[in-house]
Amino acid sequence: MTRLLRNPKTLLFLIIALSVFLVSLGGGALGNAFNGGFLGSPIAHIQLPAESVLTDPLIGNFYLTNTMLATWLTIAILLVLSLVATRKVSIIPGRLQNLFEVLLEFFLNLMESIAGPENARKFFPLVMTIFLFILAANWVGILPGFATIGRFEPGDEVIHHAEVKAEKEHSHLNLDEVQLQVFDGNNGVAILPFGSIESVITGREFEEHGVDSDRRAGLLVPFLRSSNTDVNTTLAIAIVAMLMVHYWGLTSLGIFGHLGKFLNFKGGPIGFAVGILEAIGEVARLISFTFRLFGNIFAGEVLLAAMAFLLPLIGIIPFLGLELFVGAIQAFIFAMLTLVFASLATISHNSEEH
Amino acid sequence: MEGNIQDLAAGLAIGLGALGPGLGIGILAAKAMEALGRNPEAAGLIQQNMILAIAFAEAIAIYALVVAIIIKFV
Repeated sequence: MTRLLRNPKTLLFLIIALSVFLVSLGGGALGNAFNGGFLGSPIAHIQLPAESVLTDPLIGNFYLTNTMLATWLTIAILLVLSLVATRKVSIIPGRLQNLFEVLLEFFLNLMESIAGPENARKFFPLVMTIFLFILAANWVGILPGFATIGRFEPGDEVIHHAEVKAEKEHSHLNLDEVQLQVFDGNNGVAILPFGSIESVITGREFEEHGVDSDRRAGLLVPFLRSSNTDVNTTLAIAIVAMLMVHYWGLTSLGIFGHLGKFLNFKGGPIGFAVGILEAIGEVARLISFTFRLFGNIFAGEVLLAAMAFLLPLIGIIPFLGLELFVGAIQAFIFAMLTLVFASLATISHNSEEH
Repeated sequence: MEGNIQDLAAGLAIGLGALGPGLGIGILAAKAMEALGRNPEAAGLIQQNMILAIAFAEAIAIYALVVAIIIKFV
């Protein structure tokens, strides 16, 4: 350790890292308690449902949400990458082709060891697509610009929306619970500011005092938000996965073979109860698929927002690394579970009796 | 004492919900270390499977977190 510290380069790096960390600590929420807080971005507005990018619905009751835009962006990135990778397929692969070949071969080998060579080739397209899509969506979702650049929703509109929501729930709106952020400038696009944390005001303060004329109070509605923070996206992937699992079960076991697992009349009362339990298990799988991915990615977003509040700019970097890891692990788990469920569905329950 | 009963509910949801997965992850890691001690050559395989299993256990804590977030923010 002492020899390491004597190395001037290491020492310089350590000193810089430490000072940068102290600056970020002092500039953040802790510093704000002692009148520092020069870096502190205000704590992000956490909202569960995806926000609409446009103020009006696109068609009828259909809103263009920011998670949908992020999903389209992910699809576009995947399309362009795979087109570029397969444009000039050669025996001696180029860099990008090589990357994809390594990834696909790794997965195919893994799947063959789990499901057997024949089934692995049948399941491969769906499992690999799920993996690539979720991985790309999670990694795109932590790029800068996500959840920080967006439409500005003025304060009176925010209060109006909250009132409408409270009326629907037959409760009374408490203006102290409505939080607004103060932004500089007056144009329509807002960027999460590097201001003081004090630039968060409640709805009552806004109604009574207003804000300075060169500022505006309201909320940021981001244009892009990580697609898996919307439960609709994860539910859609889960439904596709489970539908395909049952399709493969039907084609490999036949209608009676597959449905006989859930409506089992041959095994007596105990067999019947087990079949019903299995049917409930299928629904539980769907729900657990949905909420595992959604929860992990949404919790990651909340964690990043909280860390940007506590340790702005620098302290957040390790957590970005953690999010990269979690995104990859969740994509892998989703793909592997689809594979395991599919290979379970193609095996007959009575196979050991025959 | 001031406060909303909702805040208490959210705190209890994640607090109790993290209890089980915390124990589970601890047991998982302990068993993996044990296996590592018995068979150091299988380190890569053990680590890979351990991380996968930990992610499953963690997912249950995440369900509790989702419930807590829903209680708090919706």
